[in-house]
Amino acid sequence: MKKINFFIDGKIVVAEQGESIWKVAKRYGNTLPHLCYADKSGYRADGNCRACMVSIEGERVLAASCLREPSEGMKVFTKDARSKKSRQMVLELLVTDQPQIDLSHDPESHFWKMAEKVDVSKSRFDKREATMVPNSDNSNKAMSVNLDACIHCNLCVRACREVQVNDVIGMGERGHSSKIIFDFDDPMGDSTCVSCGECVQACPTGALMESSLLDKSGKNKGKHDREVDSLCPYCGVGCQLTFKIKDDKIISADGRDGPANNSRLCVKGRFGFDYINNPERLTKPLIRKKNVKKDPNERVDPSNPFSHFREASWEEALDLAGKSLLKIRDNVPGNSLAGFGCAKGSNEEAYLFQKLVRTGFNNNNVDHCTRMCHASSVAALMEAIGTGAVTAPVSEVKNAEVAIIIGARPSQNHPVAATFIKNAVKKGLKLIIMDPRKQELSTLAEKHLQFKPGTDVALLNAMLNVIIEEGLVDRQYIEKHTEGYQQLISHVKDFTPEEMSPICGISVDEIRETARIFANAKSAMIFWGMGISQHIHGTDNSRCLISLALTTGNVGRPGTGLHPLRGQNNVQGASDVGLIPMVLPDYLPITDKKNVEFFENYWGTKLNPNPGLTVVEIMEAIYKQEIRGLYVMGENPAMSDPNANHAREALSKLDTLVVQDIFLTETAYLADIVLPASAFPEKTGTFTNTDRRVQLARKAVNPPGDAKQDWWIIQELAKRFDLNWNYNGPDEIYDELRNCMESIKNISWERLVKEGAVTYPCDDENKPGNEVIFGEGFPTNNKKGRLVPANVISPDEVPDKEFPFVLTTGRLLEHWHTGSMTMRASILNSIEPEPYVHISKKDMKRNNLQQNDIVQLSTRRGKVDVKVRFDRMIPEGMVFMPFCFENAPVNVLTNQALDPDGKIPELKYCAAKIDKIQAGA
Amino acid sequence: MLDNFEKKKKKFVPYPKGREINSESVNQVQDLISKLPLRRDLLIEYFHLIQDKYRCIRKKHLAALSSLLKIPFAETFEVATFYAHFDVIDDEDETPPKITVRVCDSLTCELKGSPELISKLKNNTNKNDVRIVRAPCMGLCNVAPACEVGHNHVVNASESKVIQAIETNNTHPSTINGVSFEDYLESDGYKLLKSCYSGNINVEKIIDELNNSGLKGMGGAGFPSGQKWKFVRMESGPRLMTINGDEGEPGTFKDKLYLETDMHRFLEGMLIAAWAVEAREIYIYMRDEYPAIRIKLLQEIEKLISNNIIKKDYVHVRRGAGAYICGEESAMIESIEGKRGMPRHKPPFVSKVGLFGLPTLNHNIETVYWIRDIIEKGHKWYADQGTRGFKGPHSFSVSGRIKNPGVKLAPAGTTMNELLNDYCGGMEDGHKFFGYLPGGASGGILPASKADIPLDFGTLEEYGCFIGSGAVVVFSDKDDITSIVLNLLKFFEDESCGQCTPCRVGTEKAVKLLEKGNWDKNLLNELVEIMGDASICGLGQAAGNPIRSAINFFGNHLK
Repeated sequence: MKKINFFIDGKIVVAEQGESIWKVAKRYGNTLPHLCYADKSGYRADGNCRACMVSIEGERVLAASCLREPSEGMKVFTKDARSKKSRQMVLELLVTDQPQIDLSHDPESHFWKMAEKVDVSKSRFDKREATMVPNSDNSNKAMSVNLDACIHCNLCVRACREVQVNDVIGMGERGHSSKIIFDFDDPMGDSTCVSCGECVQACPTGALMESSLLDKSGKNKGKHDREVDSLCPYCGVGCQLTFKIKDDKIISADGRDGPANNSRLCVKGRFGFDYINNPERLTKPLIRKKNVKKDPNERVDPSNPFSHFREASWEEALDLAGKSLLKIRDNVPGNSLAGFGCAKGSNEEAYLFQKLVRTGFNNNNVDHCTRMCHASSVAALMEAIGTGAVTAPVSEVKNAEVAIIIGARPSQNHPVAATFIKNAVKKGLKLIIMDPRKQELSTLAEKHLQFKPGTDVALLNAMLNVIIEEGLVDRQYIEKHTEGYQQLISHVKDFTPEEMSPICGISVDEIRETARIFANAKSAMIFWGMGISQHIHGTDNSRCLISLALTTGNVGRPGTGLHPLRGQNNVQGASDVGLIPMVLPDYLPITDKKNVEFFENYWGTKLNPNPGLTVVEIMEAIYKQEIRGLYVMGENPAMSDPNANHAREALSKLDTLVVQDIFLTETAYLADIVLPASAFPEKTGTFTNTDRRVQLARKAVNPPGDAKQDWWIIQELAKRFDLNWNYNGPDEIYDELRNCMESIKNISWERLVKEGAVTYPCDDENKPGNEVIFGEGFPTNNKKGRLVPANVISPDEVPDKEFPFVLTTGRLLEHWHTGSMTMRASILNSIEPEPYVHISKKDMKRNNLQQNDIVQLSTRRGKVDVKVRFDRMIPEGMVFMPFCFENAPVNVLTNQALDPDGKIPELKYCAAKIDKIQAGA
Repeated sequence: MLDNFEKKKKKFVPYPKGREINSESVNQVQDLISKLPLRRDLLIEYFHLIQDKYRCIRKKHLAALSSLLKIPFAETFEVATFYAHFDVIDDEDETPPKITVRVCDSLTCELKGSPELISKLKNNTNKNDVRIVRAPCMGLCNVAPACEVGHNHVVNASESKVIQAIETNNTHPSTINGVSFEDYLESDGYKLLKSCYSGNINVEKIIDELNNSGLKGMGGAGFPSGQKWKFVRMESGPRLMTINGDEGEPGTFKDKLYLETDMHRFLEGMLIAAWAVEAREIYIYMRDEYPAIRIKLLQEIEKLISNNIIKKDYVHVRRGAGAYICGEESAMIESIEGKRGMPRHKPPFVSKVGLFGLPTLNHNIETVYWIRDIIEKGHKWYADQGTRGFKGPHSFSVSGRIKNPGVKLAPAGTTMNELLNDYCGGMEDGHKFFGYLPGGASGGILPASKADIPLDFGTLEEYGCFIGSGAVVVFSDKDDITSIVLNLLKFFEDESCGQCTPCRVGTEKAVKLLEKGNWDKNLLNELVEIMGDASICGLGQAAGNPIRSAINFFGNHLK
């Protein structure tokens, strides 16, 4: 790249191609004032505030340095009287109409710093008329809009439209009357705003601010006293953030420039942290009172658990837990103990947990919610390419020509990842969405195939048929890197678009066109989620996707890859470190003697070489009373398991249930011993995101009361199993797990402290990790990927006359999983406070329903009473319900039928009916 | 500051969040726009169809349009509310009255009594039937005061004339006559174009002719036209051409005259220019204040198509919507693209990156109007029409306190005194020549003592003024210089696009300082300085000119 030599204030300086004068000046130590320009990635210079003006020799007027690129030999002046005066006057003009600094929304704002920088504190001009000052808008519970401080810099517009692409904010009207608007100048809270808060982070004046930082009059409550760099506790995207803390309470969170989030956050990450201060936090160990029976249908009030429990000391609770579990282990024949670990905990916690089950419980009955998420995807990936992780990070979508998103709704469930996909669309990515429901991304998509629910294999096989029949495959790639192609050819031969079209409901032409767009792309990625995996044919669904990628050579190069979007913040890491019944850390099969020997040696104890049971199987074994003791850390099967009534009944049959959590969950209602644990911001540890990035989270605040670090609790329990553990902290645990895991051996704790995030696999301690992998083959025996044909199987329970609707389940943007955290995060809960069943307008009409009517939604397994909500994204014949609401737990309705390979239940499909109970208020 | 949204608390959170898109509105909008293709850049055209049909744009229709175009709500809203001629209202709001009367309040009309007219009309018309609004210059300064009743221009307007138009429901634009297509063909019209198309004429030669003639951009910038063609031709294709028919500089009405009298001479010149730069398509941006011209343009272009002179879809006519800023070429281009009229940052210039990102040749209407004559009659014919060493004729739109206002085609280099006495019949009776605006609202103000300067591009800059589009407004000893300056600054305040601080805030603060009286000259000078130095486009850069002129030349007369 050619460099440009030019002069700033008489000194020769060198600019890179495309670098602005402002950036060069900054690099040489001269930071010019700037308001509308944000010096961070994703933000285009707009040059509208004119606070960064410089003189250029030979030019009639001044130039905005943030926007202007230098040319060879150009003479730029920043210290001349003319440009100095100009920068000063711009600030003076803007100061005129600002609220007085001591009464302002944010006296520490960037704006006031810039004013100070040019020595402006007051104005000689008259303020605008009072009628011209916009009213404040507090309709959004998370953010306050105080446009009296707006300087029209447009940063919020860029934040909303260009960075996060949520497309809500605009600049309405013209000239002096122009103002920031939401949609059609609607109150922010009534608009399409998804409350990601990117605008708040971008606003330089405090015109847009976190409401929690302001008092009733809109004045700032005072600055934070310290900051801690950490991570977001919610989804698998793995956003880095900075907690701002005042008086040992987190008061706000800002996005940090991590590789997975470029300083972006979503509503949960930015506004969803006050659950840790909820008065219902567990602060003391609890022991079930004698004579209080376990009733699977009973609700315990989490704010007053003393109806069922009594407080105990740690000593007593741990002793009791250890003693009771040991008694079961030693007296009940077979593998009578099991443990549910947690994908929200750190790698260190997950590692210790599985180590406790394998070395203390003496079996491999250890699993976690990965079973409910991507077990089938992992099964298909392991079978085909020898690993369960993604082959390329989300961010790689910027290099892709085409991307398929199937069975995933990233704008809700991976909001920040979705922003990168949207950015790519704006730069030309062709997006193909396959989802029976429409979604936020649909308007940006080249195609949205709204196929019939449960017919994924029919649609995908038909696409494979087109790709093979029309010769759109990558022959060289297939030859070099795959096996099983001939079988695939003969298998998909019968799956013509003509045959499959009536099954999946997508026209022949659409199938062909989509197949061609995908196969003809120079680079293509496939993203998928629970819509693919949570079916009895989940593994088959994934097999088809893998075949699509492998036959077209879309793995291992820039802009290509298979990416099952991980749900929990550490579901990747928890799986990596062995929180799975059939594999040891690093996915080493327990059935392989060599692996067992290695770990027997490493851990210094005998191991049970038989694979353990999976989540749903464990629940079944509990129901049959084969398993009598269960240790649950951070999971909530009473809410998350399919056919939850059955699960609750099973849990109530346990001799000993030990639940370690931060709240009294629905599962804990049935516990014998409840151990108060620490919440995410209260601990330090490593977490592995959906992209395979290992990242470090740091403790921001102390846990409340007697609540303890999870690793400490596990260790204390291990001691009751006579295990001689003496870890002093997460760094020591990490060292142990790193030394038994090839994948992360070059990622040391010290390195994470320094770099914050390192992607595995990583070839060298001094090299960055590998983002796009498998360019040179796969970690299988012959380095080839296997093409595994898939058959069309119908879902386990299809609608009939009695149960005419397809019920599907999932999440809402604002709520995390079973809601134990987000229902207690005040802002998130205020945005989506109550359960609804989502239904199409036509079905509402047909069933004589109005918004807010109360209906009974029922299946063969159970029923819930819930309000009706019209949803224009849902097709006829289908209803949707989020599974986070305790007062309408949809999982009492869902079907526990399992995928034979992944052992994942069919949470995305069952037959249901709706009966109106009461007209809505 | 009470939050007024709290009161409207809703029971129900819709899903997905935000307004519902109702299918009835979608159908209505779909029907209305069905004759046009569905394209993002036609947004403003769709707005016109909705506004014309419903006399307003309801938010439900905006929502429908957003969903049809798959663009954000905010995007349709911000574009619609940018333009003065769209009334965006809430769904439950009442439709604006049947008739809108736009009374011009720009300088000439104000001098001729438009403020009184406005207040009379407001007092004596029924608010439910008629809406009286102020509007900027509509190119009728020679027959001031002027107003538009619906689309009917009422000139030399009086209360009774306007009320008569209202009562007779006379709201349609009058038809334009001028040289007909047939007559134009008769006088060898389009012969030159045809020889261009058939390859009988060499482009380089035409460019040389133009350069030698001294033809310059008559929109106000005065850039040599031949040079412009060269620059555009240097860029690799495809290229586009735009015609700036947004004659909005207060006091200017020459383009209107040429279009009304000899539209095909303009069209032929335009087509030759487009041929010269091999433009793939031509977009004519016509201001909404000239409805009769726009209608005629569409008809005459149809004739060109049916007579096989041009192909269908080669020339597009886009309708402005009431925004002075769209006379700035890059703002105009944004507007043609269906966006808010926000001037772009330069560089890059539109000859490199113009309409839809392509190299674009942009011309003013009058500029191309002269092309046929220059080539047919030779560059000398054109160049020799100047005086005192200046080349070519200059179209001065002269208005104000003079006997015979109108477009005066005078030699470039003519002085104000000559214009006044030799072309305009001198001052109105009872008025003494006191000063003049040589170039509309933005060209500054000169006193009568400086009426002997030759007028052309480049001659007035040393006085802090410029000739611009040649809109000369003459005022007298009976007029108050401070009111004149205030009128001009209010115009800029209204018409600022709002993009940059110096212009958006600067024009507003300038008006405040002027309204206070007893001018704070130092502060005003400082303000004018930074507006000139730091504004993005010519509007903000020139908006302070009247203030500077007044301080420099009329210091003793400021109140």
